[in-house]
Amino acid sequence: MTRREAVNRRRGMLLLAPTVLALGTLTVYPGIWVLWLSLQHRIPIFGVSRFAGFDNYAFLAFDSRFASALATTLIFTVTSVALEVVLGVAAALAIHTLRGGRRVALSLLLLAWAMPAVVTAKLFEWLYHPTAGLLNVALGGHALNWLGDPRLALPAIVLADVWRTMPFVAVLCYARLLAIPPDVYEAAQVDGAGRVATLVRITLPMLGRILLLAILFRTLDALRAFDLMFVLTGGGPAGTTETLTVYAYRALFQTLQLGFGSALGVVVFALVMTVAWAYLKLLRTSTVTA
Amino acid sequence: MRSRAWCAWLALGALFVLFLTAAGCAGRPESEPITLVFKYSRILGKGDPVPGLLREFEGAHPGVRVKGEALPWTSDDQHQLYVINLEGRSPGFDVMMLDCIWVPEFARAGWLVDLTAQLTPDELAPYFASAVTAGTYEDRVWALPWNMNVGLLYYRSDLLARYGLRPPETYEELIAAVGRIRDAERNPALEGYLWQGKQYEGLVVNVLEALWANGTGLFGEDGAILPDPARAADALRFLRRLIETNVSPAWTTAADEELSRRAFGDGHAIFLRNWPYAMDLFEAPGSAVRGKVAFVSLPGRARGAPGVGSTGGAHLAVSRRSRHPELAVALVRHLTSRPAQRAIALGAALSPTRRDLYRDAELVRARPGMPRLDELMVAGRPRPVTPAYLLVSSTVQPEFSAALVGVKSPERAIADARARLHYFLESLR
Repeated sequence: MTRREAVNRRRGMLLLAPTVLALGTLTVYPGIWVLWLSLQHRIPIFGVSRFAGFDNYAFLAFDSRFASALATTLIFTVTSVALEVVLGVAAALAIHTLRGGRRVALSLLLLAWAMPAVVTAKLFEWLYHPTAGLLNVALGGHALNWLGDPRLALPAIVLADVWRTMPFVAVLCYARLLAIPPDVYEAAQVDGAGRVATLVRITLPMLGRILLLAILFRTLDALRAFDLMFVLTGGGPAGTTETLTVYAYRALFQTLQLGFGSALGVVVFALVMTVAWAYLKLLRTSTVTA
Repeated sequence: MRSRAWCAWLALGALFVLFLTAAGCAGRPESEPITLVFKYSRILGKGDPVPGLLREFEGAHPGVRVKGEALPWTSDDQHQLYVINLEGRSPGFDVMMLDCIWVPEFARAGWLVDLTAQLTPDELAPYFASAVTAGTYEDRVWALPWNMNVGLLYYRSDLLARYGLRPPETYEELIAAVGRIRDAERNPALEGYLWQGKQYEGLVVNVLEALWANGTGLFGEDGAILPDPARAADALRFLRRLIETNVSPAWTTAADEELSRRAFGDGHAIFLRNWPYAMDLFEAPGSAVRGKVAFVSLPGRARGAPGVGSTGGAHLAVSRRSRHPELAVALVRHLTSRPAQRAIALGAALSPTRRDLYRDAELVRARPGMPRLDELMVAGRPRPVTPAYLLVSSTVQPEFSAALVGVKSPERAIADARARLHYFLESLR
């Protein structure tokens, strides 16, 4: 190693130090602490603090509320991400084909995304209002009990989430569409490819990687979904919209069962990490093949 | 090259020093004048009377400044803010407004100053007994009652009068009245009986009232969990039937206080269970039901106990971390005093915790229902006074909701609630 390399290396480490330090204090340390807490019965208000081993996890294994929250989280994630991707791509293609007004369309789209989740939730609270809500008025006064019916509440929340985050997918895809060189399309035209063939053979494959990335972000977000259900339904009715993070919030912040709540947190963490790892693996292989 | 590395080090060091100084400044105790911080939720109504009361206190205590700081809007957020700060031993506030259901919890956690020794023997006598009970834990007083709530049955006096009906004393009479009035009115937009069935604290209050009307409760005298499951299930089945038979609309399962209050206030219902604050809004200029609303005690069940409303309200307590506990206690006394509560009752839709104010001539003129309200508040029952209240509530909420929406049978919901409560309460020992 030359002297210059050594200096560069040292400077590199120096520049990395704040990040590593911040990550260490803000992520790794609390992470390990939560793991440790999850192995305890720890309820400070009642002076309960003793080692529990895997008691908390054993309880979760047979906890119907946990099973329901897990199922709700997974259903919410799959349906909302799927809808967001389909609609996001459609919106990106639509904007891409626009001749004028792209900027306006994009701004309108981004407006939904830029809104804080709690504001979106309040907005949808009014849309879903059982008697005066716009949706029920639009349905011809057919009073659907959006947030109070166990069959409708989760779909209603998925709808709100799709409205809010579909623009994120759309903008990412739109950026990628702009980067596809026009000569590719010209060549396709020369070869006599129709609209459908162009879409399926050229546009969508070109979108592939950016879509994977968008799906990764959206999935990780959806697995930790909290604010919409917290504001709109509080997890009800009958716990049908309670996600794992809402359950964890109730255990940790509302009832201060730090051990039990941490176990829930660890499960969410494990779930998110597994999914992230699977995606990254997929992303890497797709890079290799592409 | 070397010099650039030094620059980086220097910048990093400077940042670090800056950070330390900032932290140091934030932690340094304030010198003169003394500042007390009062955390409370802003009062809606003609104008928040609290700032005026705080200025009054400053006038009486030279050299003391009182800062009123707003709490977040929702009760969940308020609780979270307190818990994080108090568990983190933050000295950020001196006097706190607490929902009565938190007092035993905070007392048990050691976050509150014990007020018992500082009270004169008859100081608590003017307050509603159930409010004093809610501020007492293990025979010590931890908080003084500040405002008072009780569940009421509002009814459309004009509609009942039109059909020669008396306000119902039992739910059976209420159901009959709903049938009679709706048959005759032929107004499909007119609902019968509105209450709160959304999965949240309000649901627990409504179910508790149904349990009490059915002669049982969440806990027995000896602390047994849901001591009479059959009666409890029957109460849940009764609530579910209200929705199934359309006495209450299907959206009751999504209704909180405001949703139901607005529908009733727009003239779309005959009966409503709600808190006293709603009366001021019904009587406000421009209200669709102005002069057409009255309230009575919640109904009982036929051949059962008379109806009882659940009490609620806010207490004032002093943080154990306060640097000026004597002054903070003085502020609590000032804010809960007769003149202060009178000013608040005149300025806002909050009901006092001192009984004699319910006969105060000026207050009764402003709110003719006050003497009646006093009777109902005296009869009201507090929710279980236990430091584990939030644990209990958040455990039973999904079960009660499941029974209301028909996902679980009432028996199953009660059995599950019992089993879960048993597990979690056992873990507190």
